[in-house]
Amino acid sequence: MADQLTLNVNGRDCVVTAAAETPLLYVLRNELKLSGPRYGCGVAQCGACAVLVDGAEVRSCITPVASTTGKKVTTLEGLPSLWAQSKGIAADAGTLHPVQQAWIDEQVPQCGYCQSGMMIVAAELLATNPTPSVAQIKDAYTNKPPSPHLCRCGTYAAIIVAVQRASFAMKA
Amino acid sequence: MNITLPSSIPPSSRTLLPRLTRRAFLQTGGVLVVSLATPRLRAQASHAAPSRPISIASWLELRGDGTIIVRTGRTEIGTGMSGFYPQVIAEELCVRPEMIKLIMGDTDCTPDGGYSAGFLTGADNLRKVGAYTYQALLRLASKKLRTPVELLTVENGVVSGNGRKISYTDLVRNQRLDLTIPVSGEPASVDPKSWNGISGLDGLVVLGNPPTRPMRKYKVIGTSNPMPGISDKVTGRTQWTCDVALPNMLHARMVRPPTLGSTLISSGRLDKTMYPNAQVIVKKNLVAVVSPNEWEAVTASQVVAVDTKWTGWTGLPASDKLTETLRNYEWTSPSESKGSIEETAAALGNSAKQISAAYEQPFVKHAPIGPFVAVADVRADGSVTVWSHSANSQGLRAQIANTLSTSVDKVVVRWLDHAGQFGRTTFGGDGAEGDAALLSQITGKPVRVQWTLQDDLAWSASSPGWVEDITCGIDANSHITAIKSAFYSPQSNDARIVGAVLAGVPTSQPKPGYWIATEWPYDRIAHRREEVYGMPNLGIGSPSGIGMRGLIMRTPGQRQQNFALESLLNEAAAATAIDPIAFRLAHTSDQRLIELVQATAKAADWEPRPSPNPHARSADDNQLHGRGMCLMVRQNSCWAGIAEIIVTPSTGVIQVTKFAIGADPGKIINPRQLERCMLSGVVMGISEALKEEVTFDTGKITSTLWTSYKILTMAEMPEIKIVQISREDKGYGGGSEAANAVCPPAIAAAFHDATGIHPRRIPLTPAYVTRLLQAARTVS
Repeated sequence: MADQLTLNVNGRDCVVTAAAETPLLYVLRNELKLSGPRYGCGVAQCGACAVLVDGAEVRSCITPVASTTGKKVTTLEGLPSLWAQSKGIAADAGTLHPVQQAWIDEQVPQCGYCQSGMMIVAAELLATNPTPSVAQIKDAYTNKPPSPHLCRCGTYAAIIVAVQRASFAMKA
Repeated sequence: MNITLPSSIPPSSRTLLPRLTRRAFLQTGGVLVVSLATPRLRAQASHAAPSRPISIASWLELRGDGTIIVRTGRTEIGTGMSGFYPQVIAEELCVRPEMIKLIMGDTDCTPDGGYSAGFLTGADNLRKVGAYTYQALLRLASKKLRTPVELLTVENGVVSGNGRKISYTDLVRNQRLDLTIPVSGEPASVDPKSWNGISGLDGLVVLGNPPTRPMRKYKVIGTSNPMPGISDKVTGRTQWTCDVALPNMLHARMVRPPTLGSTLISSGRLDKTMYPNAQVIVKKNLVAVVSPNEWEAVTASQVVAVDTKWTGWTGLPASDKLTETLRNYEWTSPSESKGSIEETAAALGNSAKQISAAYEQPFVKHAPIGPFVAVADVRADGSVTVWSHSANSQGLRAQIANTLSTSVDKVVVRWLDHAGQFGRTTFGGDGAEGDAALLSQITGKPVRVQWTLQDDLAWSASSPGWVEDITCGIDANSHITAIKSAFYSPQSNDARIVGAVLAGVPTSQPKPGYWIATEWPYDRIAHRREEVYGMPNLGIGSPSGIGMRGLIMRTPGQRQQNFALESLLNEAAAATAIDPIAFRLAHTSDQRLIELVQATAKAADWEPRPSPNPHARSADDNQLHGRGMCLMVRQNSCWAGIAEIIVTPSTGVIQVTKFAIGADPGKIINPRQLERCMLSGVVMGISEALKEEVTFDTGKITSTLWTSYKILTMAEMPEIKIVQISREDKGYGGGSEAANAVCPPAIAAAFHDATGIHPRRIPLTPAYVTRLLQAARTVS
């Protein structure tokens, strides 16, 4: 049965009506109209649905919405304000997270379907390890539970370069 | 005003000449619209009917406000077409590519149709559209500036001559001008006579040879112009196919049969107290649950699935019996053959040595990260709109009209971005679109169908498994004198709408067969005989009629056939104790190919020596090191791949440590995007070489999760080196697609180099590698 839940998504509190066990992904997409996180596998095996919950990457396709009340949820759309907040600067419409700018500068996406999740991983990684080595980048995308982040177009090489570029930009 | 006849167009094509007509003077604005003359309209014209703009979308509009709208039925499939096409048009028009707004794929907004599998045909059309438009603009400017066309120059959309300047914008200001250009081709339609079951898949082709800009004068092509859609994809502004949300829309989840041949006995029921808004929809064997709430549709469908009863079916051979099944099939005559049987047999008979091998590969999947999704709205007035990510919108439109038993002009397909599909919708079929259209027709509401990953891996078409027998004869000088090959596979053209088959309503009917996909790189091999055989889908005669549907996948046919050819070349090089590159180069006189292979070898620090590697075993004695290469010619492009691998015998794991890939696709349009596609193609190719295999039992596909259909992860990606050669005098070649196909033969060759064992099957999984190593130990 549907409940009224208060979520904090991308820095804003919002009230949604959803059954408590509904995966966060469906609430973000259908109730809050956030199209960054995407349905890939529905069973936490690909990473297309990844979002940050209190700064840690989770797979929204298997995360019950009720488990995120009282926590801060960040989707692709919220990366600019997350960055602005961390730097204490005012966010405007043109602000991008350095990870997003690096993804544009390096022309990372091909079809782009998985890239929201890929950028979420990068944002999490760089928040905890500002200067990751190539091995550490590969490790973050491959070996961290619950599964590797998969890209069928095969953009892994571009992602590594973009993470390094973002790392450099964030130090500046 | 008539455009001057380009000298390259023969007089017989005079009726096809482009015509520029002023339709009206406008109070404000202004536009030049480039549309097409169909053969039918030409016939009307010959009866002195007035030439009039036809009521379909134009190719190009040059608007008075400076924008240039370009339309193509082709779509962005992740390789960069959305960036390449504006570059091509901008080059011919002498404008900046940023001035061009590209509209792709929507059947009501684009003129030409055609599949998006390759860049080349679409680019050729737009190049000519640009060239015809440029010529028309020069004529207009010539009149305004009172200067002969030959003396005009153009830069960034401004024409100069006789000391004066005029912009394109001013040339069209306050008038409506129509430029009608000649085309041929037929619209896509479901056609039982066609091999695919659909004809007109190529779309319309622009005729004539308008003067195009010489490649040496290019300013835009050859630069790494950014891909236009990337900012939106990175910031979350892209509207994907999965994002379409219409008023009153129902979400649907399909309840599929347990096997690819089962039929429905009874559908499960829903407890309305638990699922108050959900509804079960049944049409023959098509079962779905719909709800306005997506999560309710998901959970209700799971409950219904448990309660739904189906017949059993065991008509598949099981994947471990695939090769045996292909071997036991009663093949008759080849679908296609090339070369003389007699001359090849004689040359083989006279050779000093023969090498024969049989290569094989199981079924593999396109396996996009986003499963099929579509929205359809079948309205009370009979109009139909389908939102899709098809790589052939017009083909899909024809399919949907056929399935709904309505006319094509009632159906609009709107194209949106979605996960890369790697060829599976090239023929206009497959996917959630048919499900969505049928469910919308039944419910009278817009319906969004989202396949699950399990639906997608079990129910989408696959790239079929195959076997190939191939033999070469080698003379006393270690030169191959003849090659004979026979390739066997289920058909690869099944674009039937899966929902239509299950619902028992019309869909396309493909014919079994296969085609020779190899483009022959070895002109110094005197004789060859190639045969390909294509059998019907496995399980096609099942009660539901589905079976294992086969469809093309990235670098189709050639990916498979080139693996056999290049693996044989590798075995022959080893048998003659000649360096694999030197051996190959002795069999071709293609200078482009030779230069590319040499450049790629240099990038890979290739040291000439025969395989296997005399120093394969590492110092710690636990790993084996090898390197291998292959080449390929495809669509006016040359390719080379060099792999370095480490084999760990104790685990059977292969790690590709380095890969060098070289491409000469004629004139490179966008070096950075080509590099992106080469890098990513290598990832996909290694994935196929090491991991990918569709498993199935006697009724169903069993590899339906990413844990059972494994693809390459980031940590498994090697260091990749890219070699590009761009040429001014060879036209355009296919630059993005084929990068995947050079990986498996190079990796297989590297495995031989490391172990002395010729692998004759991919994927080289740890289990298969362990078997190969154990068998070799047993023999020795």
